[in-house]
Amino acid sequence: MKIVALTACPTGIAHTYMAAEQLDKTAKALGHQIKVETQGAMGIENELSENDILQADVAIFAADIEVEKRERFQKIKILRVSVQEAIKNPRGVFAKLQG
Amino acid sequence: MAPEVGRSLEFSFSCRLAGGLHARPASCLAEVVGTFASECMLTNHRNRAKANLKSVLAIIAADVRQGDDCCVRVAGPDEESARAALCHFIDHDLPLCDEPPVEIAAPDTQALPRALRQTGVRCYFGTAVSRGIGHGAVVLTGGLALPRALAGESALDSNREQQKLERAISAVRGRIDTMLARQASAVEAAILRAHLAIVGDISLINDIQARIEEGRSAGQAIVEAGESFTNMLRRSDSQYIRERALDMQEICLQLLERVNGARFRPLTVELHAPTVVVAETLAPQQLLALNREWVKALVLDNAGTTSHTVILARSLGIPTLVGVKDAPRLLPAGQEIVVDANRGCVLAQAPASVRRFYEREAEVARRRQKFLSHYAQAPAVTGDCRKLEVGANVSSPGELAAALERGADGIGLFRTEMLFVGGDGMPSEEKQFEVYRQAAGAAPGRPVLIRTLDIGGDKPLPYLNLPREVNPFLGYRGARLYADHEDLMREQFRAIVRSSAFGKVQMLLPMVSSLAEVRWAKTMLARVQAELAAENIAFDRGMPLGVMVEVPAVTFILDQLCREVEFFSIGTNDLAQYVFAADRTNSKVSGLADVLHPGFLRLLRQIVDTVHQGGKWVGICGEMASDIRYLPLLLGMGLDEISVPASEIPALKERVSRLSNANCEELLSRALLCKGAEEVQDLLRHNLPIDKAWPLLDRDLLILDSESETKEEAIRELVNACYVTGRTDDVEAMEEALWARESQYSTGFGHGFAIPHCKTTAALAGSLAVLKPKKPIDWGATDGQPTSVVVLLALRESASGTEHMQVFSQLARRLMHEEFRKSVMGSATSDSLMRFLAGALSANSPQASS
Repeated sequence: MKIVALTACPTGIAHTYMAAEQLDKTAKALGHQIKVETQGAMGIENELSENDILQADVAIFAADIEVEKRERFQKIKILRVSVQEAIKNPRGVFAKLQG
Repeated sequence: MAPEVGRSLEFSFSCRLAGGLHARPASCLAEVVGTFASECMLTNHRNRAKANLKSVLAIIAADVRQGDDCCVRVAGPDEESARAALCHFIDHDLPLCDEPPVEIAAPDTQALPRALRQTGVRCYFGTAVSRGIGHGAVVLTGGLALPRALAGESALDSNREQQKLERAISAVRGRIDTMLARQASAVEAAILRAHLAIVGDISLINDIQARIEEGRSAGQAIVEAGESFTNMLRRSDSQYIRERALDMQEICLQLLERVNGARFRPLTVELHAPTVVVAETLAPQQLLALNREWVKALVLDNAGTTSHTVILARSLGIPTLVGVKDAPRLLPAGQEIVVDANRGCVLAQAPASVRRFYEREAEVARRRQKFLSHYAQAPAVTGDCRKLEVGANVSSPGELAAALERGADGIGLFRTEMLFVGGDGMPSEEKQFEVYRQAAGAAPGRPVLIRTLDIGGDKPLPYLNLPREVNPFLGYRGARLYADHEDLMREQFRAIVRSSAFGKVQMLLPMVSSLAEVRWAKTMLARVQAELAAENIAFDRGMPLGVMVEVPAVTFILDQLCREVEFFSIGTNDLAQYVFAADRTNSKVSGLADVLHPGFLRLLRQIVDTVHQGGKWVGICGEMASDIRYLPLLLGMGLDEISVPASEIPALKERVSRLSNANCEELLSRALLCKGAEEVQDLLRHNLPIDKAWPLLDRDLLILDSESETKEEAIRELVNACYVTGRTDDVEAMEEALWARESQYSTGFGHGFAIPHCKTTAALAGSLAVLKPKKPIDWGATDGQPTSVVVLLALRESASGTEHMQVFSQLARRLMHEEFRKSVMGSATSDSLMRFLAGALSANSPQASS
């Protein structure tokens, strides 16, 4: 699968990046293609382009706060999970995509 | 108080003392009147009360409050001179008999740090009246109460009873006199003198004697008179006077003890171990009788914030809480308790965790001092190599050693007023010379700025006969009165010039407002130097002369003054009150005199620039210099020196070493353009002009084998480590920022790891700290497992943004990898952990693992 993901937590210091790493690592282990955007204390990094989103099958939002530039995702199916869930059980997150 | 002479031998005045004519001013007044034979009767127009001015108690009973109009009638053989003396005293000296009670703000009861709250310790709040922390075992004592009546007391022979009374009075007096001779402190002496005045009070004695005449025994008469006077004091509307009831009771009990043996005397407690004295009430002399070595704190149920006991406790530095309801019942004897008079509470039955908390706090304070001591003894130099001298403000020779120990580069302000006030008249040249020589010799090779007499106005001297002033701060003070007091000044100049042979003495003139004043001083200086040369007395011919910059007019003639003197010292307290036209003793307007006002900052900068253009040296010695938050502005101005209380020196020197002079200059120029003091404050909060960033990693931030047993303790310990190493000035704010994050959901993310973090202005630098507890801690982790590695990330919330975030995000990502966690978990020493983290966090670009 081609996946785009986005992580964002309230302080944007730790969990945003932890969740991003978990999604990235797990997706690759499961044989998915993934690009993860982080919205943290450094602002938006590894930003998802219109094209990235257009080409993806699904988007994962692991966010505990309002997502910035939300309008990019109007035409794609979005799976919403909490940041904690992505960190604690990333495989579970991907399992939801299958179901 | 302005006496107005009315009919002959009668005058009126209006009481200006904030606390009214309470015990101390009343006893001063009675002392003066006591030297005359004439009777002096006071009438308080407000309540029609009359008082014999020879009786302190009668004066107190007249309940003269601030603003009360009173009239005094003087009659007797020496009435003329008595009236004159009394007028003069009320006019000049009475205002000085008062000492405004120190206001200590009641601490916020919610302010217990989390590590204490979580222990569930029983905590009783009171009002902290003398700060500090003390612990020890409870000893219950105090509790003075006059017996209601003395059963079986009969007086067969009133003469014999009168004699007993006389003997008792002289014995009690003798005892207080002995204590007075032994006690050095001015506070103790003042209180003991007030007690002496009560024992010798004519109204009290007359009252007791009259009761004996009516057939009472001496003891019974004392009990009754004591009761009656105590009640009179308690009925007063003034808190100040109500709080003197205890002094009355203590004196009456002492009299009773002498008349009837030791039956009524509360036993003096012998102390042999660290003790917290708990009492419903504790009388001043009871406190003085305790072995001070072991008194670690006082907890009182019933004591006013202005009672003599409290005033004494404060002067003795004993942490004290008052108003702890039912203290003697709640705190049983022998129990180990902690008195936290910084936070205003007693922690009863202190469990091990509470004691550990305070032991740690004490340890943190020691480590902080040790950390700072490295900076204290070195010159203060910014990261970009700009040197700032840091001097000490000193008010007596006794403070010199501590100032040098704290790292003073010199004595930036040696006040000389202490020689002139409180003593027995004018100090001799010799006496002054001794003191100045000590100051000069204490700091070999370092400058000692001795300020000539700054007296007048708010701090007058009785023997100078200065006129009363409506507005002393705009009055006859400092250098303004020198020309009229040539002899006085000649002696001080001689003493200072002589001391210049013993060190790097510089002479500083206060409250200068004109060139003429400086020229007068220079002429006097030349005269004194010629005299000393003729007398073959050694001195330093090159001793520099300088001027305090306090009067705004002087700031516009600095170019002229630069040609007359060698250096300048800015006194920001007075300068601010004159520049803002705001009396700093008037709480309604004192807030206007904000030194962060851009107008004031511009003035300071102009002063420094003008002095430097004239090729001279300029320092600052006001309160503004000791506020570490303002340091960047002072550096930015290019001041040559700041002079502060000695205790502040180490932290200021450390901070200087962190800052960049260039960045400070840049920050100052932004501050000068701000729209108000608040904007400047905000600017300072968000911009610390550091030279180079503190390294994120620091061996002192890696805590292995921690004794912390709870999440609260662990967080506190990590924040304390940041405080010790200068990474935060505000432990509690940083702690709360971390807890605010924890309250969203636990940062324990499983695998035995937790990653508490915060972004706050309380963090002065981005910091990465690691704590490994000896026993795993319950962090409320998502996998329910205890935590054995805590990684703290503190990000500075600042205008410059996110410099450390790359490393933090990198670390966060790597913590998701088991090998990384294993390596952190497995590093058994701080060296190996340091090496591992440094390597791991520098070797990777931020996106390496994406």
